[in-house]
Amino acid sequence: MKRIVAILFTTVTLFTASLFGAGKEIVIGCLQDISGPTSSLGKMVEAGAKWHIDEINAKGGVNGAKIKMITYDTKADVNEAINALTRAITSDKVCAIIGPPIANIVLAIAPISEQYNVPILHLAVDIRSEIKDDGTTYKNTFGMQPNNLQMGAIMGQYAIKNGFKTFGVMYNQSNAYAVSLLEPFTKAVTAAGGTVVKEVAYTANDKDYKTLLSPLVSAKVDAIYMPNYTQDLILITQQARGLGYEGALIAGLDAGPPFNTMLGEDCDKIYYINNVDDTEPKLKDMIKAVKEKAGIDATNKFFLGYDIAGILNQVLAETGPDPDKIHDAMLKVKDYDGLTGKITIDPANHMPTGLEMVMFTYKGTTPVMLERYSAK
Amino acid sequence: MSSVLLTNILTQILINVICVAGIYVLTGMTGMFSLGQAAFMAIGAYVSGLLVTKAAFPFLPACAAAVAVAVAVGFVVGFPTVRLRRDYISLVTLGFGEAITGILNYFTPITGGASGLTGIPKKTDLGLALVSALIVVAAVGLFKTSKYGRQCIAVKSDDLAAKAMGVNAPRIKMTAFLLSVAVTAYSGCLYAFYTTYVDPTLFGWKKSAEWVIIVFFGGVNSLTGSVLSTVVLGGLPEFLRFLGEYRNVIYAILVLLIINFRPGGLLGEWELPFGKVLRRPDTGGE
Amino acid sequence: MQLQIILNGLALGSVYALIATGFSLIFNILKFSNFAHGATMAFCAFAGYFVAAANKMGLVPTIAVAVATGGLVALCGEFVAFRSITVRNASPIYYFVSSITLGTLLEGLVTIKAGANFYNYPLFFKKRIMKFHGLVISTSDVIMFCCSAAALLILVWVIRKTRLGRGLRAVSFDRDTAGLMGINVIRTIQFAFLLSGMLAGLAGVFLGINYTLYPTLGSLVVKGFIASVIGGLGSIAGALIGAVLLGLAETQLVNLVGSTLTPVLTFVIMLVFLLLRPRGIAGSNIQEKA
Repeated sequence: MKRIVAILFTTVTLFTASLFGAGKEIVIGCLQDISGPTSSLGKMVEAGAKWHIDEINAKGGVNGAKIKMITYDTKADVNEAINALTRAITSDKVCAIIGPPIANIVLAIAPISEQYNVPILHLAVDIRSEIKDDGTTYKNTFGMQPNNLQMGAIMGQYAIKNGFKTFGVMYNQSNAYAVSLLEPFTKAVTAAGGTVVKEVAYTANDKDYKTLLSPLVSAKVDAIYMPNYTQDLILITQQARGLGYEGALIAGLDAGPPFNTMLGEDCDKIYYINNVDDTEPKLKDMIKAVKEKAGIDATNKFFLGYDIAGILNQVLAETGPDPDKIHDAMLKVKDYDGLTGKITIDPANHMPTGLEMVMFTYKGTTPVMLERYSAK
Repeated sequence: MSSVLLTNILTQILINVICVAGIYVLTGMTGMFSLGQAAFMAIGAYVSGLLVTKAAFPFLPACAAAVAVAVAVGFVVGFPTVRLRRDYISLVTLGFGEAITGILNYFTPITGGASGLTGIPKKTDLGLALVSALIVVAAVGLFKTSKYGRQCIAVKSDDLAAKAMGVNAPRIKMTAFLLSVAVTAYSGCLYAFYTTYVDPTLFGWKKSAEWVIIVFFGGVNSLTGSVLSTVVLGGLPEFLRFLGEYRNVIYAILVLLIINFRPGGLLGEWELPFGKVLRRPDTGGE
Repeated sequence: MQLQIILNGLALGSVYALIATGFSLIFNILKFSNFAHGATMAFCAFAGYFVAAANKMGLVPTIAVAVATGGLVALCGEFVAFRSITVRNASPIYYFVSSITLGTLLEGLVTIKAGANFYNYPLFFKKRIMKFHGLVISTSDVIMFCCSAAALLILVWVIRKTRLGRGLRAVSFDRDTAGLMGINVIRTIQFAFLLSGMLAGLAGVFLGINYTLYPTLGSLVVKGFIASVIGGLGSIAGALIGAVLLGLAETQLVNLVGSTLTPVLTFVIMLVFLLLRPRGIAGSNIQEKA
């Protein structure tokens, strides 16, 4: 008799639990620059994350619960971002946040997020987004792509491997991303026996780079390193070529497509890194599907957003929508097989370790994949 | 809306009220346009932030020092400029703002450069912002009804006539400028210790221009109007998030309508009668 | 090397000159700094892009579209943002605030259409650069120089020789008296805005060619502002000289101290200059009126 009661009780409990569970939603936040100067990046991350979440929900969601993603616009503004973060955590009770791709915004929300438990999976490369001035980590921020030290080292070491010896550097001193990628590159290059002949800085107010480029061009350096945003890269390339510079140009992520179509001329001898190999058939199919269904030309931020959503999906399946548990599980992410590589989070600094990047160049205006490379 | 979010928004609005009160002294009362006022906010924010994070100053002395530095810099900038015609003041302050941004970006090891200054402790809460805003607004109100305030308004209406009446115009403009600088710098301190993070992009000339527009929206001759319009225009975007990209356009159309069809601004010259409570009943007007 | 830098400075200066003339035209007649001029440039550049350049129509149609748009936008802007201030004869402060707001409006409209993305005009010239005894100059700079020189010559001719131009000068000298003498003041102001808008369109296209297209392209108006103040507010010749000087000074400073500290030195030089010669290079000292 007791046994029958016990069985009945368990069945009823399980049944009610599943009944409630099935209708439940897991709410996550997506805090991106949807308007403002960096909106093209933010919108891309959002689209990638949404694409993956739609896939997950179409397959029945996480343990029967659908994921609901709410997007918050930071307007690329620190104050707006803080408000949006507070709204996401305290009003909408999201259990995890897909964070913005811009260091300035992540640096601003990292200390504010300390008072909560909600992990923020962001794409800023500056290691100061995870590590405080005293060397400890921020509780809730997780960088989800190689950081500035790794990226700079990858580009620097690869450049030397490619046979370049002398370098000029042209960077935007008013842009946090460009500044953060400067030193890691020059260190890697000098450590491997190369020389940086001259560094020149410009600011957001400058649009005419000829005077700054002249000394680099007349020094006949093997390569000019330009860790800047796409718009600057186009101007630098045009003006450097215009001044008769025939050497190589090395850029970060931002010389990837659509750079080649926007430059309006051949892009030979331009080297860049990418998070993914978008010439793979698997990705090509995805790009085509995205173009057909959503009308977007997917770029690397799309795939990064896609991977973050995938990692969240895996973590949520283990923990359920409990921010504390998600936080702990994030520290243990190991060998997640994403589009951007095998992602393993280092619990000591909240960043992926040993993630490879893909080296590219152009032939005419067609991207040519060189090899996958990770810094030593 | 959660209470935390509401507290945040109120704090931000109060900090803005302080900025706008500073602009009111300059533009509303004295008729000078500064396109570099945000740079003084930057000075307040960076000096106080650096003193606390790098030199272990306590919060309030750091603010006092920051305001003092800003006023000193303001004196250097203002001394040659207040004698010039109004467009030149806009130009010089504009150049000053760009110069400050350049300096902040250049000295990366100290200021953090483009990636900004991190690690500022959180000290500004709603209470502090509220008390500060009340004190600043009351002080500006008192200034307006004082002898200096009336001289400011005289200089604004007619520089030449004011001079003829024995008003030392450059000196009165300088007084207004420095008062405005001090108030703006203080708001910068509050801002830095509220967001705990500042970077150079926050302080461009467009921000200064925005404040001037807020003053005109509320009523260029009314402190009450300026404060009111800060609250309205500052709070509005948060409630109108759904407008997205159209927000700026609608905002601009609203302001254009006000300037064209209600040139006195929302409140014209009307003031809350705090002058009467605090002092004599004779409020100055244009 | 040094010669090349001077050449770069001249090229930059001629960009600034194109901005500064349109800017100074409005100052000349209404005595205020028209900050909407920048957003007008951006608006026209985008109009030229979306209507002509994106449909592979080449440089001339692009300029034509941009110039026509510029005239139209400036006329509408005058009606929407400045007319009632003129009629009311209110203080120039109102113009100033109104122009900044109009700028925000135009920039907002561009952002709605284009997003925050940037665009690039297609390559209009087969050869991007010209070489001349080891000196390099970009083709677009040369063409821009010729176009702006032609535009400015026409402008000067219009102002000096035509009836409308005489009206313009009269209204700029004394609006009330000109009105009493039978000049249609509003029509004349409209004419000034039309001209200034067309210049903005021309400037917009060349800014776009040189610096790519993006919604905040109009921020470059501050350079025109600085140039026209140095040159003497309201004087078109002064604006030209100021612009070239500014371009030359900036490139020299960039070469000497780097780009980041250039604004600091520009500021100091500007301050000293205004102390020594407050009316600018060619300006007459306009008495401040409320």
